[in-house]
Amino acid sequence: MQRSAAAVSVEVKQVIAALCRLLAATGLECVPAPEHFRRAKFGGGPAVEDQFWQVLANIQQKCGFVSCEPRSQLGGATELRRLVAAGLWQTGYHADWMYERGGGEGGEGGRFSSKDLLLALGWLLATGTLEKLLTQRVEQLDKTLILTPSPVNHRLPTELPLDSASVRRLQWLVGSLRHQGRTLLSMQEERTCLLHAVSVASLPSSVSPSSSDQSSTLLRKDCVCLQQLCDLLEAYLNWRQVEKVFWTWMDSVVDGHLTDPVHKKPTIAPNGRAARCHHGNCGLEKLDDMLLRQPTTQQGQGTVREAPEGRGEGGLLQGRSDSCLPPLSCPPRLPCCPLAYRLQTERPVRHSSPPADGDRGGTPTAGELSASQAVELLLQTEALLLERRGRQRLANRTQLQEMIGRLDELVLIPP
Amino acid sequence: MSVVTVQLGQCGNQVGQQLLHSLLCDAQEGQRKELCTASRERFFHQDTHGELVARAVLIDMEPKVINQSISRAARSGMWRYGETSHFSQKQGSGNNWANGFCVHGPAHREVVEELVRREVERCDRLSGLLAMMSVAGGTGSGVGTYVTQCLRDVYPKSFILNHLTWPYGTGEVIVQNYNSVLTLAHLYQLSDAILVHENDTVHQICSQLLNIKHISFADVNSVIAHQLGSVLQPALTADSQGAYSRNPLGELVSALCCHPEFKLLSVSSIPQVPLASMAYSSFSWPSLLKHLRQMLISNTKMEEGIDWQVRPLAAAERSRNLTAGSFNTSLANVLILRGKDVYSTETAGFEDPALYSSWLSPQEAFSVWKSPVPFNKYEKSATLVSNSQALLRPLDSMVGGAWNMFASRAYIHQYTKFGISEEDFLDSFSSLEQVISSYKELR
Repeated sequence: MQRSAAAVSVEVKQVIAALCRLLAATGLECVPAPEHFRRAKFGGGPAVEDQFWQVLANIQQKCGFVSCEPRSQLGGATELRRLVAAGLWQTGYHADWMYERGGGEGGEGGRFSSKDLLLALGWLLATGTLEKLLTQRVEQLDKTLILTPSPVNHRLPTELPLDSASVRRLQWLVGSLRHQGRTLLSMQEERTCLLHAVSVASLPSSVSPSSSDQSSTLLRKDCVCLQQLCDLLEAYLNWRQVEKVFWTWMDSVVDGHLTDPVHKKPTIAPNGRAARCHHGNCGLEKLDDMLLRQPTTQQGQGTVREAPEGRGEGGLLQGRSDSCLPPLSCPPRLPCCPLAYRLQTERPVRHSSPPADGDRGGTPTAGELSASQAVELLLQTEALLLERRGRQRLANRTQLQEMIGRLDELVLIPP
Repeated sequence: MSVVTVQLGQCGNQVGQQLLHSLLCDAQEGQRKELCTASRERFFHQDTHGELVARAVLIDMEPKVINQSISRAARSGMWRYGETSHFSQKQGSGNNWANGFCVHGPAHREVVEELVRREVERCDRLSGLLAMMSVAGGTGSGVGTYVTQCLRDVYPKSFILNHLTWPYGTGEVIVQNYNSVLTLAHLYQLSDAILVHENDTVHQICSQLLNIKHISFADVNSVIAHQLGSVLQPALTADSQGAYSRNPLGELVSALCCHPEFKLLSVSSIPQVPLASMAYSSFSWPSLLKHLRQMLISNTKMEEGIDWQVRPLAAAERSRNLTAGSFNTSLANVLILRGKDVYSTETAGFEDPALYSSWLSPQEAFSVWKSPVPFNKYEKSATLVSNSQALLRPLDSMVGGAWNMFASRAYIHQYTKFGISEEDFLDSFSSLEQVISSYKELR
């Protein structure tokens, strides 16, 4: 289990190199060197940052996250960075620097660093961008690939004709398609045979350039494409085998990022909501809502528990108290309440297997609370709640007494 | 693109040999380099000495007919069968389908598959497999069905066309209806298309059109070979873009048998005259096609005795008149024209929607193949391959005859002892009843 730090770092470097080769093979123009990754982890400075800005922009442009080409409308580095931030936001990524002016450029006193960009890149890789790039490139290179046509959204008539004639006609058409498919398959087989024959024939005698006609140029082009395709697939295979190491390393980046002393709590996003992933986080949102509702139900329960004083009329009592006691309907919201639980929910994710294996929600977005702060906050809340409970109790009692007072014949001794 | 022929049983081996012979004779006549090359590539390959060797596998449980076919081909001096592409045993199947299907077939599966595989691997591109057999006997029907099943397993993506010879209605073999029912019911699940020649019809053609006095199996076989050859000889099709089609079986099946319930094809050719009177006959395309069309709609298999009273009904009439009488509704037709002036021939008569079912337009149901090269010495000839109600009547009587015997359990023990149970029979009956009802309701 225990390996020397040097061995690990060498391995990480190789793995990152494999990633870089793969990224380059997918057709990205500006891929940072493996060394830049290492430097980015430790806040590598503007040169490294620039590399990452470029590669992020490049990826987003290839995947079509941003519709316009950054370079063509390059109004300077700021424009590029804004576009990158917008693209990241669209993929569901969130970080504080994205909401700042200029997308973190010249960030306020070192709050932004190349580590943030490294994390953003990690997010993109983990959410399947790599596979998307790969597919795109394979489709470009492999001319023999029968591309699955994008599903055409045929509007079926609301009432399908289900008479026997239509069904038979459909069955005929299906059969016809099946026959066509078979014919195409046999054509493809024949072509493969012929290609094989051609390549076998052309291998031993290297064709002299003078005799190269158009067809041999085409063949050579095909050959180059096939070579590239092989390289690409090989790079991907190599990467898949060592991917785990990279994600472990990425974990260390995330951990480092979280314990970073300069790191601050997330600010509120421009739209006023707590900043968080825009989508793909439904589970967290739900949990958020549930937890926000939590104090309300507790108070409700509290009220019921008070009711035994007038057992039979508890329902009525409760209803009344709700209506006459306005503060109960709005629970005391703690400013950092969602963040406090996020602290808990995200912890396990961070140390789990790499995101590629499953959960890909490991965004390093959460604000942090130190334990002492949390305790303090909780104590404050408890005090607030206790105080409210006291008031409520008093109000209930008064109400009960009033009611009893209205019942003339009955004399009750209050507890 | 090539077709591998699998000749099964006595009938299959005789008809197959005759077919290959007439295809090659026709292709080599005169100056027809293009057609000759296409036809040769389709059915033959050349050995190291330049001799033409048929892309065929011969299978029978008795050696006699195979030896005859091989020596007959060799005697022609034009072609031969592959030296090792045949398989025979000493003992036949005794006209028992169950014996062929359950005993002989499985026993020799590996050998047969290996023979076919060798022929298939010799093809640059396999257009499909043509399995030829009769349905009455034991080897052609039983072993043939079993071999078709193996071929379907091994070549799931290839086209398999079964050519079946149906026995005389009067009876060659006492259990021919049993054998036929079992064969057809099984092949309906396995084959892509089933092309049928009825001995009765072919016999009539021999006696009435060709004026043959003492009709032998050789005469019958040569008529079958002529009709089948005019379908399989290369032609220009809509898909072949000005060159001879390279995918004969695929195009035939795609044009005619896309629906799984309708796979029975019948063939009729015009003209068919004795060789001696050929020199004195002249034909015009309009008259030939008019006759052929009337043969189609009145379900007459030959030029003589055509019922000219039968007329196609309009759609409205058809729906009212459910028992449309003798009118033969088609699901799909392929018309093959060979000879002089084919390009200026008018085929609109076959594009009448009234000829076809209501659920398939004539554009989908009708296709024409043409070749300017005359076929088999006929200056002009037209062949119609039809997926229609034409075979309904003989099929119905075949199933009826078998059912009558089955009702009294006649000869059933001969089948059960080889492992074909009464349930298997019942399954076959019900699947063929379904076919009959599908064709009956075709309108």
